[in-house]
Amino acid sequence: MTDPIVLLQILWTGTVTSLSLVLLTIAFSLTQKVTGLWNFAQAGFMGLSFYAMYWVLNHLQLPLAVALAAGFVAAAGIGYLTEVFGLDVLRARNSGNLTFFIFTFILAEFIIYWLALLFGTEPQTLFKSIFSPVHIVGGIAISDWDLQAVSIAAVMVAALWLYLGWTKQGQCIIAVSDNAKLAELYGISAERAYRIVAIISGLFICAGMYLVGSRGGVTPNSPFELVLTATIATLLGGMGRVFTAAASAIIIAILQSFSVLFISARWQALLLYIFLFVTIVLFPRGIRFARRKIIPAEPAPPAVAVAADATPEV
Amino acid sequence: MEYILTMGVLIAIFIILASSYNLVIGYGGLASVAHPIFYALGAYGASLLSIHTGMPAPISVVFGGLVAMIASVLLALSALRVSGDYLLIVSLGFQLGILQVIKNFEFTGGAGGLSSIPSTITGPLRTPIYLAISAAGAALTVWLIYRIVHGPYGRAITAMRDEELAFSALGRNATSLKVVVFAIGCGIAGMAGGLYAFYFQYISPEQYEILQSASLLTMVVLGGMGTTWGPVLGAVLLIALPQLITFLNLPPSVMAPLQGIIFTSLVLLFLFWRPAGLVGNAQKRSPLAAGTQDLGGSA
Repeated sequence: MTDPIVLLQILWTGTVTSLSLVLLTIAFSLTQKVTGLWNFAQAGFMGLSFYAMYWVLNHLQLPLAVALAAGFVAAAGIGYLTEVFGLDVLRARNSGNLTFFIFTFILAEFIIYWLALLFGTEPQTLFKSIFSPVHIVGGIAISDWDLQAVSIAAVMVAALWLYLGWTKQGQCIIAVSDNAKLAELYGISAERAYRIVAIISGLFICAGMYLVGSRGGVTPNSPFELVLTATIATLLGGMGRVFTAAASAIIIAILQSFSVLFISARWQALLLYIFLFVTIVLFPRGIRFARRKIIPAEPAPPAVAVAADATPEV
Repeated sequence: MEYILTMGVLIAIFIILASSYNLVIGYGGLASVAHPIFYALGAYGASLLSIHTGMPAPISVVFGGLVAMIASVLLALSALRVSGDYLLIVSLGFQLGILQVIKNFEFTGGAGGLSSIPSTITGPLRTPIYLAISAAGAALTVWLIYRIVHGPYGRAITAMRDEELAFSALGRNATSLKVVVFAIGCGIAGMAGGLYAFYFQYISPEQYEILQSASLLTMVVLGGMGTTWGPVLGAVLLIALPQLITFLNLPPSVMAPLQGIIFTSLVLLFLFWRPAGLVGNAQKRSPLAAGTQDLGGSA
């Protein structure tokens, strides 16, 4: 029987490790929700954001704030440019969906090859040392990095939730994600919504890659695996449900962490692909939790139920 | 001379591979990136059968094709059961997952690769004979695919690709047709893998990474997706072009990404400036035109 403290430690480590995936999944899932696009180019954006931060920190020797700004500008900038000069052009041409897939996939590859050419294929970390001071709380080791990851993820997720639910611009984005054509009839620009989402995704990608790169090594190819995890989480959470997808990312990471108890280290990487198959085969529309039904005292008119069901999911 | 003949063998193998990929993505409209992994399954299947049982090369190559075909059916059934969207995601996961398996097993040679694949043809005429066999294989593949897509079955495939809803409304089973097209394309790729393994006598997992997916996609898009001769031209150009860079004597750490940059730049250029490719007719409906798959976007 494994010591409960060990189990708690695995749970804690799995949870905090998942937070970078949470941020990257939100970027991927939000883009999928609003544009309807599986934007695999985000693998390239992730790589670009990481190496921008790495270059500013390690080559230019500038402060972390400048590196973070560079990481954000790189991810949001390339995302915005891809929208304007790539996806918008393809939309205007009424291109087939296959074209969108080829474009995003090849763009990711194109960026990754440039990164491999410029920075090599050896793993790099943002900081020379990835050691972080550790505090023991109730027998569980909690590092400063863990606290930093929790704070960053909590603030960003809360900010996005408030933005989407409580600002006019956020509600416009939700409207576009529900029905872009209908939103345009009401004077909401879908194009503008797509571009804003590209910038928001850039912010989440930058934060996610900061956490990934400050904890372990990154190679130009690593983001493909991250995008795949984000894809699995998006599928598992159910397409169009951004925060459920984020929760799924946590579940995936925790399951991966606990698997060390049963599976040898060399087979760990395979677990992700098994998740993918299980998700596609068993939960193709995501895991749907039954909602608690409110039974009215008197029979309610059908329109109320319809309106309640129509509340957009975020 | 040996070098040029070897290039010829490689070009012939890639014509088989690109044409079979074109059948899947170009004619079938099935967005899959995993074609290199079926090529790998064929290569490993044929090599392992030959190494462990001493089976003759032709039987081993056919066996490799069967391994790839069975794997492709399993993949397609699980993904297409729900929607065409999932094939792309599952194919990406399948490719990376199988590569992990190959890298971790000892009997596949692990990450270091599989050597000691028996040479079935020896002597000074080995390369010319292999060239003849590969060229015949390439010609047969192009002819077979031409026959498939220009016959009644081919019309059903393109109808399914262009108007799946209407196709299904006519009582045809789009999913089973997709699975068949996918299996044929992947089976041919597996046989190409077997041919490669017996000629080069060494295979390693890194030959089947995502780079190979990008290369194949480049061959098909550059030549002309959904055309008979497009992938042939694409394969010839994309195997021959990088050879020009090899004369620059650049280190491998520069060569590999540089080749990748050239491949991906070409795809991006063609996607925007000539989506029909070099061979394709810009006036004709291309697989890259609207509504060919339900994947991708609101777009």
